[in-house]
Order: sequence, then C-alpha cells, then structure tokens
Amino acid sequence: MAHMFLFKPTLSLSLRLNKTSISLPHRSFRHSHPPFPFLSSTHPISLPSASDSNNRTHIRCSSNHTSTAVEGSEKSFVHLTDVELMRQCEMDTFKASGPGGQHRNKRESAVRIKHLPTGVIAQASEDRSQHKNRASALNRLRSLIALKVRKTVDLEAYSPPRELLQILPPKSSIRGSDCGPQIGPNNPKFALGMQALLDLFFAVEGSVSEAAKYLGLSTGALSRIILSDDSLRKEVNNLRASKGMKPLK
Amino acid sequence: MKLTLTSVYRPHCFPTLLNSSSFISLCRPFCTSALSSVPTGVKPQVPLFLRPPIYSTKLCDLKKWHDWAKGLAFSVGSTFLHSDNGPDSSLLCRELKWLMEDAVVGHHSLGVKDDGRVEMRVDMEELYCLWRQRILERRPFQYVVGCEHWRDFVLSVQEGVLIPRPETELVVDFVSGVVSENEDLKKGAWADLGTGSGALAIGIGGVLASGGGRVIATDLSPVAVAVAAYNVQRYCLQDNIELREGSWFEPLKDMEGRLAGLVSNPPYIPSKDISGLQAEVGRHEPRVSLDGGIDGMDALLHLCDGAALMLKPGGFFAFETNGKQQCRALVDYMENNRSGSFCNLEIRADFAGIQRFVIGFHQ
Repeated sequence: MAHMFLFKPTLSLSLRLNKTSISLPHRSFRHSHPPFPFLSSTHPISLPSASDSNNRTHIRCSSNHTSTAVEGSEKSFVHLTDVELMRQCEMDTFKASGPGGQHRNKRESAVRIKHLPTGVIAQASEDRSQHKNRASALNRLRSLIALKVRKTVDLEAYSPPRELLQILPPKSSIRGSDCGPQIGPNNPKFALGMQALLDLFFAVEGSVSEAAKYLGLSTGALSRIILSDDSLRKEVNNLRASKGMKPLK
Repeated sequence: MKLTLTSVYRPHCFPTLLNSSSFISLCRPFCTSALSSVPTGVKPQVPLFLRPPIYSTKLCDLKKWHDWAKGLAFSVGSTFLHSDNGPDSSLLCRELKWLMEDAVVGHHSLGVKDDGRVEMRVDMEELYCLWRQRILERRPFQYVVGCEHWRDFVLSVQEGVLIPRPETELVVDFVSGVVSENEDLKKGAWADLGTGSGALAIGIGGVLASGGGRVIATDLSPVAVAVAAYNVQRYCLQDNIELREGSWFEPLKDMEGRLAGLVSNPPYIPSKDISGLQAEVGRHEPRVSLDGGIDGMDALLHLCDGAALMLKPGGFFAFETNGKQQCRALVDYMENNRSGSFCNLEIRADFAGIQRFVIGFHQ
C-alpha cells in the first residue's frame, strides 16, 4: 500500500516532517515489468551507495554489539505506523545544486530518509516517481531499524513476543496454533519478528543453540530461518564474528 | 526545427478583470521554440506504455538496438552535464531501461515467444528514432515515452504541455493537510490555474473526491486542455474535475468570491534565464509555461490579485515559485499591496531545501 505523506519542511537543507496525513492509494494503471536478462548489466546509477549510508548511521553493529538501546524507544520504532515513524524522520532528495523546479529535467527522484532518534538512513531511487520512492524508503527504513536497533532482553523471564512466534515454523513447541501461518521474509511483518529474534540473539551472545532453546526449535530449524533472509543472516554473523564464533552458512 | 507562433502558443492574455499596470508587460507575444504545431480539436497522443502491442521483433534485434542505444548514451559522458547541467550517461542509461519497460511487453519468459520474438508497442525503426531524438535532439525522455510518473499517477504528456516536476508533488500534500482539518474546504470548489497535464488538478481531485469537493482546471493552451482531459479520464475523475480553456481567471468569472482553494504552478522563470536552460527544458517545453516575464513574477502577481478576488473568506491558496527571492517578493506584495486580503502567509521549502511555495488563506 502506498501512502501519501504531508511534509512541512523547514527551511534548512534537511527537511523535518512534523505533520502527516495519510490517504488511500490511487488506482494504479501500470505495473513494472521485470527487466530483460541482458539489461541486468545496465550501468549502475551514481547515487550515494548503501555503504555511504551506513557510514552515516550513528548506530553501528560492528563496533558496538551490546548497547544499542536507544533512549525513548519504549515503544519499538518498528511498531510505529508509517505516519508516526515518518514524524520522527527528516527527508531530503539528493539534488543539492541548481535552482530546480521548472529549470530542471533530470528525473532525480531519489529519496533519502533519516530516522532522527537512531540515525538510521534509508534511501530509494528505483522508481520513476519520487512519491513512490518515499514509500519504498520508509519500508526499507523499518527493516534497517529492525536490524540495527536492539532492545535488552531479560532471559530469566523471557517469553517470545507474538511477532517473533509468527515467523517461526509450526513445529516450534512454544508456538500456539493461534499464531496463524508462518510469516516469511517477503512479508512486511517479518521485520517485526526479525527484530525480536535479533534481540534474543544479542542476549544469548550469538549462540544459535541457546536461542533455539528459548524458541522451542531445533538448532537446524532456527538456522534455516536465519539463512532465509540475507540481511538477518548478515547481522547474526556480524555478531558471531565479534564473539569469535564461526559464521552460519 | 522552429515554428512561428501558432494559435496554441498565444501570448498571455490576462483578463481585464484586474487592471494592474504590472501586467501590461505580459501582454506581448511570446516566441516559441516548441516542436509541434497542433491543430485545433487536438487529439492527445497515447503514451507508449498504453499502446497496443501490435509489433514484434526478434530478441537478437532488440538486443542489437539496446547495445547501440547504450553506446550512444555512453558517448555522451558528462558533456551535457557540463554544458547545461543536463543528464550524464548514467542517467541516460536509467532512462533507457525505462524506455524498454514501456516499449516491450512483459517479462522475458512470457514476452519471448517460441520463435524467439518479443512483442512490442512500437516498431524497431521508431525505437531507433526515439532514442536518437532523446540523445541527439535532447528531446525530454517524458515526451519520448509520452508520460511522466508523478505521485501515484502516470500522466500522459506531449510537446506543448509542461512536464510536471517532482517539486510540485508537495502542493497536493499541502492541500491534503488543509482539507483534513476543514470539512468546508473539502466540500468546496477548487481551481488549478495553468493546469498543463492536469497533474495538480488530478492530485487534488483525488484528495477531494471523498468529501464531494471538485476542481476547475484552466489552461489557455488547447493541447494542455486535451491532455489534461485525457489524464482526468484515465483516473476516472471527470465527475470531480472540470476543464476550462482560457487564460488564468478568465474562464472562472462565475466563481468570483466562491473558490475554496486555488493552486498554481505558473511560469516563473525570468525571461533572461530562458536561453540558458537545460536543452530538454529550453528547447522542447512550451515557453509559455516557463517564462514569467522580466523578473519571473508576472503570472504570480496576477494570481495574487486574482486570489484576493476569487477566494471565499477562509479560502486557501498555494503557489509554486522560482525560489527564495520570489517567495519573499510575493509575501511582501501580499502584505503591502494586498494588506487585509490574506492571512497566515507561509513560505515552504521543497525537498531540496529551496524555498519554493507560498501558501496562505484569504481573510
């Protein structure tokens, strides 16, 4: 679902959102076609790369694996609605020079969103419409926050939250039948479960077998979930590397 | 190719409704360098992606074209960028990918038939021609494919109609914010002046549709009116959006003091800057939709005067401008020359941080 956001930009280069509204998507009359195989070699678009963004994030898993809890994150950022999340962000386009507006025809519709409380940055440039790129960037931001922002877990009294249970396979011994079908990595709700799973992983210091116990799963079954999503696997392996453990493959 | 003035590119003929000497300068003919002359009773062009797939070509021929097109894009390097801040090779390659999406049907596994042919919405000869126009003539990509992606819409555009800009998307957000807090404005009649492709009217029409509000969109160009009508129809908004041909407020005489809202992205580029514009813009887009007179403010000042007359009490307006200087000048004008007419004036920036819009309310 595409959302419309109302931005009230300030006059600085980075524009802060402090008011939003939402509306239903409009009828769309086209869908994009997957590219032809020989198009995959298309010259990459020169935009700040993902690694650039990572350099700008204030929270770095590689340097600090344990204390990434953020002040005021009582309610998990990932649980916020699009409107609430956007309210905490500033957004800018990549264009910095020239008068813009009617002067320009460059189709620079790339969008970058920065989540102010955590410093996590997401961007999108694949669509022709800036509006749609904004929606994609926000989705991406949600996943990135799930990956980068950790909550402390009390292992003594640990009980997996519902969104984590939902990404577990039905064979988990603690997963009730009321959790519905298993949510996979392509479902936007996967980010919520992934965040809770990573919280647990950090608490057990990267041990798959320990985490598996808390989730009523075999080590193998939990590994399969971790390997089902590239970004999740990368985060887990970063953590394991910092603890001197072998990466999951 | 240069054509002399046609009936389409009439000079601004401001209505006599407002007799301000500042508009006299506008009542002079504009020269146009637009490419096409369009007869009256304009039939809008169908965008490439909506044309029927009646052509087919061998996959290897398509690949040959693609390699050629890519080579041409790479030969540009950053020449355009350095000459007039135009697109470089990487941007052109991205456009090439989009052109493929619009011209060729389906995924390779579905689109390629057993005999190794692909279905196309355009024949190979025209495809070569289109890319040559893009690179050698600097014809805007949006005119090449006949559409522009703007907000959630894919709007048809063609020569003679300004290509809607991403900056302008924000005006719809302003309106959406205002009507969410004011039922009365949501139910009212709005106007989009100089609608061009109909982008703002359609964006706002969609916002107002649920509350029963409507938009009257005006443009002096019959091409623009025809294209806007086509776009309105494609999004099934003809019950909410009415198109009227004429200059600015001229077709709105029946609405005096009755408009709930007024928006416009009028021509605002100072005349002296037109010759230095990026080739895609300066050579191909209608000058009448870009050139705002000596300081670029002619149409904006006219809109201010008209807004004071046409808006009902509490009515909202939003105008796009050339930047900080024009925003300030417009606010000054409203406060000094039209004191008492407007309130809650605000300058808003676009996403690149440029002060771009003046918004406010009628007293």
